[in-house]
Amino acid sequence: MPEHDVNIRNVTKRFGSMTAVDAVDLDVPRGHFVTFLGPSGCGKTTTLRMIGGFEYPDSGEIAIRGEVMGNRPPHQRDTSMVFQNYALFPHMNVADNIGFGLRERKVPKGQIQERVTGMLNLVELPTHGSRKPRELSGGQQQRVALARSLVVEPTVLLLDEPLGALDLKLRKQMQIELKHIQQRVGITFIYVTHDQEEALTMSDTIVVMNEGRVEQEGSAEEIFERPRTRFVAAFMGAENILDARVVDRDSATSRLNIGPGEITVNTAMPPDAHTTVVVIRPEKVRLDVADGWPATVRDRVYKGSVVSYMLTLEDGTALTADVSHDDPAHRHSVGDKISVGFRAEELVVIPDGGKGA
Amino acid sequence: MSSASATAPSGRRWSITPFLTLGLPILVLVAFVVLPLVLIGVYSVYSLSPDTGLMQADFTWANYERALTNPIYRNVFLRTLEIAGLSTIIALLLAYPVGYYIGAVANPKHQGILLLMILIPFWTSFIVRTYAWIGVLQSNGFLDSTIGWIPGLQTSLLYTRFAVIIGFVHVFLPIMILPIYASARNLDKRYVEAAYDLGATPFRAFLRVVLPLTMPGIIAGIVLFFIPTFGAFVTPQLLGGTSDVMMGNVIADQFGQAFNWPFGAALSIVMTVIVIVAMTFFFRYADVEEIYGR
Repeated sequence: MPEHDVNIRNVTKRFGSMTAVDAVDLDVPRGHFVTFLGPSGCGKTTTLRMIGGFEYPDSGEIAIRGEVMGNRPPHQRDTSMVFQNYALFPHMNVADNIGFGLRERKVPKGQIQERVTGMLNLVELPTHGSRKPRELSGGQQQRVALARSLVVEPTVLLLDEPLGALDLKLRKQMQIELKHIQQRVGITFIYVTHDQEEALTMSDTIVVMNEGRVEQEGSAEEIFERPRTRFVAAFMGAENILDARVVDRDSATSRLNIGPGEITVNTAMPPDAHTTVVVIRPEKVRLDVADGWPATVRDRVYKGSVVSYMLTLEDGTALTADVSHDDPAHRHSVGDKISVGFRAEELVVIPDGGKGA
Repeated sequence: MSSASATAPSGRRWSITPFLTLGLPILVLVAFVVLPLVLIGVYSVYSLSPDTGLMQADFTWANYERALTNPIYRNVFLRTLEIAGLSTIIALLLAYPVGYYIGAVANPKHQGILLLMILIPFWTSFIVRTYAWIGVLQSNGFLDSTIGWIPGLQTSLLYTRFAVIIGFVHVFLPIMILPIYASARNLDKRYVEAAYDLGATPFRAFLRVVLPLTMPGIIAGIVLFFIPTFGAFVTPQLLGGTSDVMMGNVIADQFGQAFNWPFGAALSIVMTVIVIVAMTFFFRYADVEEIYGR
């Protein structure tokens, strides 16, 4: 069993009548880059703030390196937070901002200077120590905030949507950089975002949250390829989420009715499951297959590397198919009647029957 | 001018707008600020006729010489500085927690009502409020009848420096609370959270983050409180003893009792210059721009 830096046990947090975090259980392995992913109001930031000590759980407990935190305030926790808008102290220059935590820890002056210089080099701002935060660009401020939190060598670094204020190009660049820095310093990062692409790019583990609960926890591949709930599938950008009816089953396979046809998948369904949800990636939908299901082309969208076809099946089910742009064999126009099919093994069957929509 | 007239629209009509937007404020300023100041300045170099005792228009530095060299006035000046300074410090110690609480701690829904409570005393003339302190502080007054039964606690606070300071703090406290409240309300709580997060105890976070970031409010509060206190004459007149005479009283006496307007005017000018110089240094020392970084 890997060592954990953070254990969250059955933690619930309410604000008035609203339950922000609902019986969350979670273990964060040491040295991992863990991302809490979800829409606004899903409880991801509240969970992060409870780890940092800015909020306290109503019930359940949070332990950092095995030590139960209870109502311990932030300054007595070995965590450090990078705030959404950085919260750099406007009355201090960059070096004093970065050295703040070291001064509070009574580190000798000479050592502070040395470590601040080291941090300025790490975040590639070696000559900016005497500037005021206001004189820096958004991306530079972001690096200073990161340096200020990293310099105190926390057990866990908490990052609350730290790239949210940056433009797309800088954000992509910072995602890679953050990941590199995390690997270099080896500190556990807990990262909060609502951007699924950002989560996929950086995380060792993604924790998808919705309405205060953990929907699914797993590697980027697991979350993206094998969503366990309809919510996760939809949030990760799945385009074809189809309702299915279980018509037959045995111990290893199930026969599902999807829209106009039936298909046998290698997934055992629990005996009480009569309906379920299947996901098919648009690029896995095959066009013009023999004995496929009839479909009508409703729309055709050129997206550069792929052409997307918006299709309607016989029973009205909508389906999106992506075809490589240099595939002349499958060129269709709006109104064409075609046939579509997919391989059973490329269908993702969501085993919980599509709860948590 | 020729190029301007070339581009100006022909047939330009006279309009009342520039007069209202620019002329009227200038007129008000001239009538109520510049003119009185000039008048005081002119009076200050006049002298009194030795025969009639009336003010006569000539030019002399004698009034300034007397104001600056006579030790009586230097002592009164130092005493004024002491009383006003002490009142300002006491007021700051009271105003900061209150202003900070309303601006940064209290439920925002209650901020309005709390501010209203701070401002309600303003609806009563400060002279009336000062008189009220006479009733409270005089021997056998409200204070004595409340706690006077305790042996050794018979107070005789009226006509003491303590009474003057109480009067100042009470009368001018709200105008110190308001700017502190404003800066506390504008304080982004995430700065405080960041300080805690980086290991600062609440006290250290206050010292290193909250205090510097609310400094503009503190400075404004000090200035707004100190200036009227420094020039006050009603409060020491009503609540102070003979040993608590302040510059304001001396100046008022020159105009009201001694009928020596030129000397009163010279004292006023000296006070005004001192306040302006002091405030300039004060603002430079506690550079608000520097706090926030240009």
